[in-house]
Amino acid sequence: MRDLFTEIFESIRRNKLRTVLTGFAVAWGIFMLIVLLGTGNGLMNSFTQGSGSYASNTISVYGGRTSEPYDGLQSGRRIRLQDQDLALTTGPAFTRYVDEITPTVGTSVTVVRGKKKVSGYIEGNYPSRRDVEKINLKYGRFINQKDLDENRKVVVIPQKMAENLLPEGRDIRTILGERIKLGNLMYRVVGITASDLMSSDNLMFAPFTTVKKVYNKGTEIDDFTFSFHGLETEEAHEEFEESYRAAVNLRHRASPTDRGAIWIDNHFTQNLQLNKARRVLNIALWIIGLFTLLGGIVGVSNIMLITVKERTHEFGIRKAIGASPLSITKLIMAESVTITAFFGYIGMIAGLAACELLDKTLGSRTMDVMGEQIAVLINPTVGVNVAIEATLLLIIAGSIAGLVPAMKAARVRPIEALRAE
Amino acid sequence: MIIDLKDVNKTYFGAQPLHVLKGIDLQIEEGEFVSIMGASGSGKSTLLNILGILDNYDTGEYWLAGKLIKDLTERQAADYRNRMIGFVFQSFNLIGFKTAVENVELPLFYQGVPRRKRHTMAMEFLDRLGLKEWAGHYPNEMSGGQKQRVAIARALITNPRIILADEPTGALDSKTSEEVMDLLGKLNRDEKVTIIVVTHESGVANCTNKIVHIKDGIIGEIEENTLHNASVLGAGSIMK
Repeated sequence: MRDLFTEIFESIRRNKLRTVLTGFAVAWGIFMLIVLLGTGNGLMNSFTQGSGSYASNTISVYGGRTSEPYDGLQSGRRIRLQDQDLALTTGPAFTRYVDEITPTVGTSVTVVRGKKKVSGYIEGNYPSRRDVEKINLKYGRFINQKDLDENRKVVVIPQKMAENLLPEGRDIRTILGERIKLGNLMYRVVGITASDLMSSDNLMFAPFTTVKKVYNKGTEIDDFTFSFHGLETEEAHEEFEESYRAAVNLRHRASPTDRGAIWIDNHFTQNLQLNKARRVLNIALWIIGLFTLLGGIVGVSNIMLITVKERTHEFGIRKAIGASPLSITKLIMAESVTITAFFGYIGMIAGLAACELLDKTLGSRTMDVMGEQIAVLINPTVGVNVAIEATLLLIIAGSIAGLVPAMKAARVRPIEALRAE
Repeated sequence: MIIDLKDVNKTYFGAQPLHVLKGIDLQIEEGEFVSIMGASGSGKSTLLNILGILDNYDTGEYWLAGKLIKDLTERQAADYRNRMIGFVFQSFNLIGFKTAVENVELPLFYQGVPRRKRHTMAMEFLDRLGLKEWAGHYPNEMSGGQKQRVAIARALITNPRIILADEPTGALDSKTSEEVMDLLGKLNRDEKVTIIVVTHESGVANCTNKIVHIKDGIIGEIEENTLHNASVLGAGSIMK
C-alpha cells in the first residue's frame, strides 16, 4: 500500500500543473453538486414550511362560493359551514375514516392593554387543535377542556402581539395572567405562541364555546379540520374526497361535483405531492451535478491517457522485469482515484462551506410576498448521507476515469522496453 | 541444459509476411558465457525477445530450465521473466524518476519482498558493483558505465537462471564497454551466472566463451572461443 502511494505521489509530483488543472475540474463538479443539493434542500424546506404545519393525516374544510347553478340556485352563492356539517362528517357515512374533528370560529377584534392598541383575530378552538396544527407554544399553556366546559374568557396570544402590547424592554412572560381587552370584553392571557417566519402575528386562540357564544355565531363555523385513518393511497383519497364533497355540497344545495362550493385541504396528499416534488427536484439536481462532474471525470481520464502514453516505455521496462498486467492496472487506477478523490474532497469541503455561508446569509433573510414573510432558503445544507454518497461517487468516478487508461497501460507489450528512447 | 530451442520458427505477418526465424536449434548449458552475433535483420533481436519471453514464437519448442515456454498467460510470462531472467539493455532502461537503489529494488517489489529487506539486498548488490555511494542518485546523474552497472545489479538481484544482455555496450565508449564486458565475464567466472549477449560487434562477441553466428534467421557457425582470439582485431580490445 505504501509502495503504491509512493509511486502515485512520484507520478503526480512530476506533473503538478496539469494534475492541479484537471483536479480543479473535478473539485468544481463536486462543489456544484453539493451547492445545488444544498440550495435545493433550502428551497424545499422553505416550501414545506410555507405550506403550513398541519399534521399529515388531517383534512381541513372551508366554505367557498358555488361555481355552477344547481337546484334552481345561481352560481356564485357563498357557502358557510355549519354545525350540521360537523355532524355529517362524523356521521355514519364517513365514520369509517374520520377520527377527531375540531371546528374553529373567529372574528376580528381590537386588542387593548392600557394605552396600547393592536388589531387581532380571535379564533375559537379546541385543545386538540394544538397537535393538529402543530402550534408552537412558547410560554404558559394552551386552551384546555375546562376552559371550554366553563366558557372561560381566556386567550393565547402570539409573541409579537405580546411584545407590542407591553412597554418596550419588558419580559413578555409578565403578560401571562394579565387581563387584556378584546373588543368589549376582558380576557385573561394564559399562553404565548412562538412567532416564527410562518406564523401569523395577530392570530389569537380562545375556547371554541366562548367565541361562539360571545360573538353570537349561532350554528355558523369558519372551518373545521378532522383527522382520519385507513386512507393509504392517493386513489383512496381521491375517492373519499369525491364522495365527501358530494355529501357536503348537497347539504348546501350545491352541485355534488362543484369544486368551488367548499375547499378541501388534504394535508396528507399535499405532503405526498410535496415529497414527490422534493424527490423530483433532488433527482434533477443530482443529474445536473453529475453532468458538471462528468466534465471533470473526462479531464482526469484524458490526463491519465496522456500519462500512460508518456510512460509506455517505463511500463515496458516494468513488465520486462516482472510486473504483471494487474500491477500496472492497479497503478493507473489508484492514481486516477487518488487525483479524483483528493480534488473532489477539496470541492466537497468548499461546497459544504458555501452551503453554510448561504445558510448564514440567505438562510436568515425573508422576502415579502403578498404581505407574507417568506423565507428564501431554510437550512440550505446537505446531510452526512450526501457527503458519503459524494465520496462513493468520487471513488466510482475516479475508477471510471482510470479504467480505459489503465487497460491501455496493462496492454503495453514488454518489447517496448527494448525500443531505444 | 538451461536453454533448449527446438526448430523455433517466427513469422511477422504484415503487408508482406516476414519469416524471421527459420527453424532455430540451440542448446546452452548452465554457466555458459555465450554471444549471439549477427548483422541487423539477421533475426538476433527476435531470438532474444523469444529467449526473454518478451515475444511468442509460432512453431517449435523453447525449454527454459526444464519448463516449456509456450502459450503462457501474461501473468505467467511476467512471473517467469521476474524469477528466471535478468535483462541488461543497450539503453540501460533504468526508470528515470527512481534512484539507483530503487531501480535495483524493483524486481524484488514485483516478487512481493518486504520494503526493508529488498532495500538491504539492493544496497548489497550495488556495493558489490562498487556503486554504494551512488545509491541515492538518479540515473541522469550517473555516467553510462555506472548506469549499466546499476542495470546489471538490477538483473542480478533476483538471482536469475540466465542474464540476457542486448547490445550491453551499444551506448558506451570503448573503455567502459571493456569494463562492462569484464564485469560480465567476472560474474560468469566467479559466480557461474549463465550469460547470453546479443551483439553485432565482433569485439564484444570475442569477450565471450562461445559465439553463435546467426544469419537470415538460421544459426550458422558456433565458435568455441575460450581463448578469446576470434576477433580479427585481436584479443583484449573492443573497437568502436
